[in-house]
Amino acid sequence: MSDLVELPPRQTPNAVEVAPWLGKAQLLQSTPVVSVHGLKKAYRTHIHSVPVLHGVNLEVEKGEFISLVGQSGSGKSTLLHLIGLLDVIDGGEIHFEGQRIDNLATSNRDRIRNEAFGFVFQFYHLLPELTALENVLLPLMIGNGPLGWFFARSKAVSLAKGLLDRVGLSHRMDHKPRELSGGEMQRTALARALITKPRLLLADEPTGNLDDESGSEVIRLLRTLNREEGLTILMVTHNLEITRDTDRIVRLSKGLVVNEEVQPAA
Amino acid sequence: MLCIVSVMLGVATLIVVNSVMNGFSTKLRDRLHGLLSDIVIEAYDYDGFQDPKAKMANIMADPFLAKNIEAMAPTLEIFAMLQYAYHDVPFTRSIRLIGIDAQSRAKVGGFTEFLTQPERKTTPSFELTQEAKVRQAKNHVLDRKPAYFQELPMDPSAPPPPDPPPSKPHEPQGLIIGHAIAHFRDRTQGSEGQVKDIRALEPGDDVIITTVSGQKMAPVVDRFAVADYFRSEMSEYDSMYVFVPIEHLQKLRTMEDRVTSILVRLKDFDQVPKVIKRLKEILKNEPVEVQTWEQKQGALLAAIRVEKGILNILLFMIIGVAGFGILAIFTMIVAEKTKDIGILKALGASRFGVMQIFLGYGLLLGLVGCLLGTALGLAITQNINEIESIIGSITGQELFPRDIYYFDKIPTDVHPMGVFLVNIGAVLIAVAFSLIPSFRAASLNPVRALRYE
Repeated sequence: MSDLVELPPRQTPNAVEVAPWLGKAQLLQSTPVVSVHGLKKAYRTHIHSVPVLHGVNLEVEKGEFISLVGQSGSGKSTLLHLIGLLDVIDGGEIHFEGQRIDNLATSNRDRIRNEAFGFVFQFYHLLPELTALENVLLPLMIGNGPLGWFFARSKAVSLAKGLLDRVGLSHRMDHKPRELSGGEMQRTALARALITKPRLLLADEPTGNLDDESGSEVIRLLRTLNREEGLTILMVTHNLEITRDTDRIVRLSKGLVVNEEVQPAA
Repeated sequence: MLCIVSVMLGVATLIVVNSVMNGFSTKLRDRLHGLLSDIVIEAYDYDGFQDPKAKMANIMADPFLAKNIEAMAPTLEIFAMLQYAYHDVPFTRSIRLIGIDAQSRAKVGGFTEFLTQPERKTTPSFELTQEAKVRQAKNHVLDRKPAYFQELPMDPSAPPPPDPPPSKPHEPQGLIIGHAIAHFRDRTQGSEGQVKDIRALEPGDDVIITTVSGQKMAPVVDRFAVADYFRSEMSEYDSMYVFVPIEHLQKLRTMEDRVTSILVRLKDFDQVPKVIKRLKEILKNEPVEVQTWEQKQGALLAAIRVEKGILNILLFMIIGVAGFGILAIFTMIVAEKTKDIGILKALGASRFGVMQIFLGYGLLLGLVGCLLGTALGLAITQNINEIESIIGSITGQELFPRDIYYFDKIPTDVHPMGVFLVNIGAVLIAVAFSLIPSFRAASLNPVRALRYE
């Protein structure tokens, strides 16, 4: 990985940029990027109700790289999905940049997911019919709509190419996911997560399906993004090895945060 | 792909069937309109009404009517029996005997264009041609009078035969006979898809017409000679109509100066409602009924309309079946693509955005299916006669029996508005049936969709 392409500098968002769907007056400066209070979630079937989160509290400061760890079933992925507005909470509150977002209308939740969050999943979740470049462009296609996309396309393509270059995949742009290795697919997914210049990156076991070398490459990229761009990252992982590169380790057990450990600055 | 084929076949079928039905309907309407003129002033019964000339003069005395009426023709109609001999074998037919003045009937229209002899189209008359006169004279020299009256075995229970033709030689009146009365269809050649007309009555041949006369309806018989044939290509008319000079029929029926109807042709058909109203005012004390040709044939035209409507509903069910195909296939696609839908939703796709994908897909299917179906339907309509003859030669069965309609080929009439409506309907069905799967896709929970295996 040499000659990294510089992303446009991240600017401190003003009130309207941060949350245009909310009132300007409600915004506060120096608030945590994410703040979770008493979060509860249970999965229900027709007969059973399985509680997963019992009242989680968590704050994520701007520019932090946090790893969420815990045993299987501890609720770490569920917490990540709830913060990412992929699912609906049963109780508590989620605040993003000072504003409550868990109770927003579906359309606003969709818009936050598209514009403010970036997602990286364990199983990459790339669309198999699209090339690497098209997969990276997908969030912008969704965000712009058909007409907007028509006008934004050329600019978006050059941005996507730059990102693919940055993750070392400039030679794989026209390849379909099935033609890529696991590491390449995850790096494509990372480029996709970055295309909208997210203010929070949510990574759900990004190295869980990769070999050590590919996993390290992904983590190195995340660390670089965090340090150089100030990107706030919340990462779920099983791998305690990679948590060394993060600022803070939050441990979950049985649906509760049981321990928080701030890492010494590297 | 299968969905496109289903929509395509449905649309093509609808276009072909509608075009053929429109073709039949248009041709039928044209013929009926031509034969009946624009307005018919008709007596309530076969006794007719008195003094048609005075009535026509009365009508033309009205300035509004005089300005709008192009021509009028009195006619006298009655049912009759017609007899002729073909190779000395007797043939008896029931006919509709119509007395007309050839000149005035020609002006009303729907008459001369259906006559077969070209010279009669310009100068309509009941006069025999020179050739026909020679044949007429030759028939009598050879005494080719119908000999079957004597030869038929006498059966006491059988009804008495009609009166023989008048014994004293007289110059018979010319008549114009329906094409199907004077010809037989030779079906033995039907295997090649061709039918041949065998002429049973040549111009100049004798026919005997028996009808009724006077108030007691006494049978009267007269001998006529065939002058020409009337071929409207409408079997009902070609197999029933026999035209004779009106004065002669009036004498035969002892109905001098009486007619059963007056046909009225207008300069502008759009004026019909006003003309009808005025005519009804003028003729309010007369024993006549004033109707447009459409009112007179109301039942038939309504039947065609109803038939077309029902057929359209049934055929739209074909597209409905295609719609269920779309529903089934889209439901499977949604199940198969659940994870991909989850990815799109995780990346911020809205419910409406996901719905749009499937609705757009349904719309595309409908549009492509309609486009191909319209092209196929129009191509079939354009070449329907060739297709019919190919199918006929393969199956050995004539699909379009020409002797029913006396059309040389299957008539077609493509209505652009009809084609447009079929397309709109098909696209709507395609979109409507993709609504349920697209709604299901839009309602998927992203987390569950991402975990779906």
